[in-house]
Amino acid sequence: MSITLERLKQLFAAKFDFNIEELKPATTLEYLGLDSLDIIEFMFDIENEFKIKIPDQEFRVRTIQDMVDAVDRFISEQSIGS
Amino acid sequence: MKRRVAVTGLGIISPCGNNIDEFSANLMAGKSGVRRISSAYSSLLSVKIAAEVDFNPFNYVTKRQVSSMDRVNQFALAAASQAWKDSEPSLDAKERERAGVYIGSGMGGGNTIEDLYDQLFKHNADRVKPLTVLMVMNNASASHISIEYGLSGPCLTLSTACASSANAIGEAFRQVRDGYVDVMLAGGAEAFLTYGGLRCWESLRVLAVEDPDDPSKSCKPFSKNRSGLVLGEGAAVVVLEEMERAVNRGALIHAEIVGYGSTSDAFHTTKPSFEGQARAMSEALKGAGLLPEDIDYINAHGTATRWNDLLETRAMRKVFDDYVYKVPVSSTKSMHGHTMGASGAIEFIVSLLAIKNQAVPPTINLDQPDPECDLDYVPNIGRKGVKVNTVMSNSFAFGGTNAVLIARKIKEVA
Repeated sequence: MSITLERLKQLFAAKFDFNIEELKPATTLEYLGLDSLDIIEFMFDIENEFKIKIPDQEFRVRTIQDMVDAVDRFISEQSIGS
Repeated sequence: MKRRVAVTGLGIISPCGNNIDEFSANLMAGKSGVRRISSAYSSLLSVKIAAEVDFNPFNYVTKRQVSSMDRVNQFALAAASQAWKDSEPSLDAKERERAGVYIGSGMGGGNTIEDLYDQLFKHNADRVKPLTVLMVMNNASASHISIEYGLSGPCLTLSTACASSANAIGEAFRQVRDGYVDVMLAGGAEAFLTYGGLRCWESLRVLAVEDPDDPSKSCKPFSKNRSGLVLGEGAAVVVLEEMERAVNRGALIHAEIVGYGSTSDAFHTTKPSFEGQARAMSEALKGAGLLPEDIDYINAHGTATRWNDLLETRAMRKVFDDYVYKVPVSSTKSMHGHTMGASGAIEFIVSLLAIKNQAVPPTINLDQPDPECDLDYVPNIGRKGVKVNTVMSNSFAFGGTNAVLIARKIKEVA
């Protein structure tokens, strides 16, 4: 299981009232009841946790796996110049 | 035709307890919520005392709400939830359109502003919490309550400093009385015991000096050795309901709200005018169709600043004439501190509890009477077995706004 997924799960658990067992890669954010405001707030936590910057308009995610992929992509893109 | 307005629900978060029974018992026992400030920054302050609320937000709101709300919003929701549960107004979809929320707050999301500036200026953050706007805005508390209970009538925030929540309750009373709505959640919340907030008050030179023997005794209203006000925080919300509706559904009616006076000194931002205060009291009496002699207890604004204590006493003398020496008056700020935007609602609840308990809470720390303040301030010991049918609660604000509320018992005690 990816380390990114585990770290995201911990972030979810700290922020929301979900049972961490509910969080599977295929789980959709809609299923979790997250609205756009929740996601914007959560993006801030993700940026802090992974030391990345998520550019506006580039975080189009539907599932937890989409989120993992996006985070991994930003990590690899943004580690190049640093 | 004017309708009658019942109070059917009470909720409180305060330095003297986070539910009505505990709050009531502590006040009657003269127990102070004033203490040394718990935060680390207190060592930087010259005044290290305040009346803080012992509050675990997870007892009241979800984890998600904790991170997306300022402390003041959490207080407001917690007080509203108690009031709602106490009243159980059970509104259907149509009735919810005729139900609203009026909340008073002086400073809104003060903790969030402080965190924001700390991050920006001290830690050079290049970005801030995404929900900052929604946590700082002063109408957040009212909005969260409206959403939580699906109340889709008027939802307003009143900000008149220390009179905010008395104005909120008074204006909500008029909304129900005049037929615009049938149910209102009204009250106020304040949570501004931040480092910056305390610094601001410190600079105004109105804060009490810590009592050398016992920090909890630092607030001394109407006392010759008073040294100023003690800041507090908290929230209080009441449910106001059209009387017939409340009676028909068999609601427990705490009291009937009958009078509201709203005036401005139009004089000075910090120096009060006794004329403005007296007019607010007289207006409230007139609107209620009552005489001064009908009032059985007054909860004074009683901040323990010299200007307030002298001028409020003078204003009460003017309105109540000779009867002023017969009516018990207390400042419970001596115990719960000055909770700013929440104080009007908290003290309105204190007044209603005087009716409920047929007892009046004391003004504590009154060992050295001020000769210029010569009323019956119920010094130090709460008084039980007092006939209390009708009560008045005074709130006077920086800026010169005065708000006075009058409530009475539904079935009068002879």
